Amino acid sequence: MAKRSGAAQNPPRLAQDKLVFLLSLVPYLMDHDRVRVVDAARHFGVPPEQIREAVRLIGVSGIPGETATYQHGDLFDIAWDTFEETDEIVLTNLVAIDESPRFSAREAAALIAGLQYLSSLPEHADREAIATLSSKLSRGASSAPSPVGVEASETDSTLALIRTSVENGLRLEFDYLNSQGQRERREVDPLRVESIDADWYLRGWDHGREAVRTFRLDRMSTPAITVEPITHDPRDVPLPDVLFEGSADDLFVTLDVAASALPLIADYVPEGTVSSEHDGLVRTTVRVSHYHGLKRLIARLPGVATVVEPAEARAVVREWAAAAAARYLSPDAPDPTRREAM
Amino acid sequence: MANVGGASRIPAEERLFSLVLALLATDAGLTKTDILSTVQGYRQKFSRSGDNANLERQFERDKDDIRDLGVPLETIDSPGHAGDNHNLRYRIPRGAYELPTDIRFSPEETTLLNLAAMVWREGSLSAESRRAILKLRSLGVTTTEPVLGYAPRVRVREAAFDPLGTALERRQVVRFGYLKPGESEARVRTVEPRALVQHQGRWHLFATDQSTSTTKTFLLRRIVTQVSTLATTFAPSAPGQADLALSELETVWNSNSAVVQVDEGTDAATRLGKRRGATVPGAGTLNLHYSDLNIFADELAGYGPEALVISPPELRDAVRARLERTAADHG
Repeated sequence: MAKRSGAAQNPPRLAQDKLVFLLSLVPYLMDHDRVRVVDAARHFGVPPEQIREAVRLIGVSGIPGETATYQHGDLFDIAWDTFEETDEIVLTNLVAIDESPRFSAREAAALIAGLQYLSSLPEHADREAIATLSSKLSRGASSAPSPVGVEASETDSTLALIRTSVENGLRLEFDYLNSQGQRERREVDPLRVESIDADWYLRGWDHGREAVRTFRLDRMSTPAITVEPITHDPRDVPLPDVLFEGSADDLFVTLDVAASALPLIADYVPEGTVSSEHDGLVRTTVRVSHYHGLKRLIARLPGVATVVEPAEARAVVREWAAAAAARYLSPDAPDPTRREAM
Repeated sequence: MANVGGASRIPAEERLFSLVLALLATDAGLTKTDILSTVQGYRQKFSRSGDNANLERQFERDKDDIRDLGVPLETIDSPGHAGDNHNLRYRIPRGAYELPTDIRFSPEETTLLNLAAMVWREGSLSAESRRAILKLRSLGVTTTEPVLGYAPRVRVREAAFDPLGTALERRQVVRFGYLKPGESEARVRTVEPRALVQHQGRWHLFATDQSTSTTKTFLLRRIVTQVSTLATTFAPSAPGQADLALSELETVWNSNSAVVQVDEGTDAATRLGKRRGATVPGAGTLNLHYSDLNIFADELAGYGPEALVISPPELRDAVRARLERTAADHG
């Protein structure tokens, strides 16, 4: 219902990244007697020019050596003519490096925790394989991996069905309850499954809407595979980086939010929003597609987020919360003292 | 001199690369003076007679940066100079640097590891996962194209994560202000970090409280001050701390259960009914587990009139109070 800001927050520590790249590229080149720059670039997922730059540096690097003056034999060397003329890399002299580097404790920890998080995907039903892989990572780390863990994300059988749908090239259909409370049968060509922490989403081509839509897995019910062939392929449908895109019909709502609750609404704050602080509260703006979504968001943030304007949005939130609170007063409400506290 | 001499500005990566190569190539180790006077990137700035304090500081930072990447840079005593700091020798032992040759990954495993790294593409561990993938690619294994594309993501939005992660690795005691719900002021906690874990989409610190010597679990979002790192370090924890933390959270989650009435066909019925471990004791009623009463009460309040808490009474009261507060705030 609102835009999520997707950009990475940490600026890469460039020199360290470049060093890891150099230490990783050398063993790869050693294993390939002759490799085209474009192939190496594709393998490492970097622009070809980054490979060329690294190779130029490797070609003049080495060890101080006996004379401590970097004599020719103390340096890596490459077939420079081949490199310049055919854009291929051939190492002709090697120094110091024989093998790929180990993982750092944090690198291994990140991969192990990532595996743990993904262990409930239907693809990874083989828990044994995950355990083997984790122990390989531990042994391949230069010191014990940092204790970072992520609970296996809970996914239901819907994921397996989505996969079958793609495998068989047949559309998926399911009942979908949108955040306005309307239920509808949707027919979708699955394009990609995404997740954020414990929440899972399907992005797919919605045949009813004739557009890409994002669906929460926990709002889908009675999914089934149809007999209609899938007509949209992920390679042909560009998916924007953000899960939820803004639309021209979006509504803008002003909120007062406690600073501590700001991260909880960050996904709904449009880029470039100017916020001001007063009395310990931050006044900011969120973008929502309708007030039905807003009332759920605000009711989850009691005492830490309040709608300032428009008045209509305030009223929707008030009525939602008041109607709910009233249920606790009505005489037919179950008697809470009937059960023991657990 | 070969074609590398004379360059006035040597890029940082060239200096770091040259340092790693030089230290890998030496068995006996190099002294600091050897390094500063001969290794590419240092030697250009080295003064035989003068003051090399800046260069020495540069070397100290470089050592940290290199170790940070998992390169085991070690120091050994010079023969005949045991305990003499000025004659320490530096080297990178090959066996501890190189990935053991029996550790190799199949294309399927490599695909899975790529996905595991993708989980961290935002935030604190993104640099680590990016570098891990470079090292993995170094092995030259090509990956298999998955049938269905996945873009999994775990987010770390709490500012406390980074300093706690660093303290965890260096086994340093940390201090922070922790605000429990219902308390008006944060209490200062001094703890030994044991693990960082995400459970039910929330980050927790598992740590030993120094004042009581008991392990406790802290929610990162309730850490309300900056995390300060103390000079004191503590003994390494037994392995498996993250699993232990997760299993303790799971025990708490299991022991807390609530009965909630949900209206058929509503968002509450669909989504709460799909929660892990949800059971249906009767029509329109769900039995649900939760880890933290206050957080679960916030979540339930969001469903408004679609959900009515039957038990336990503390949860019922908490949800009702929240709804009344929201109604009043918007009156």
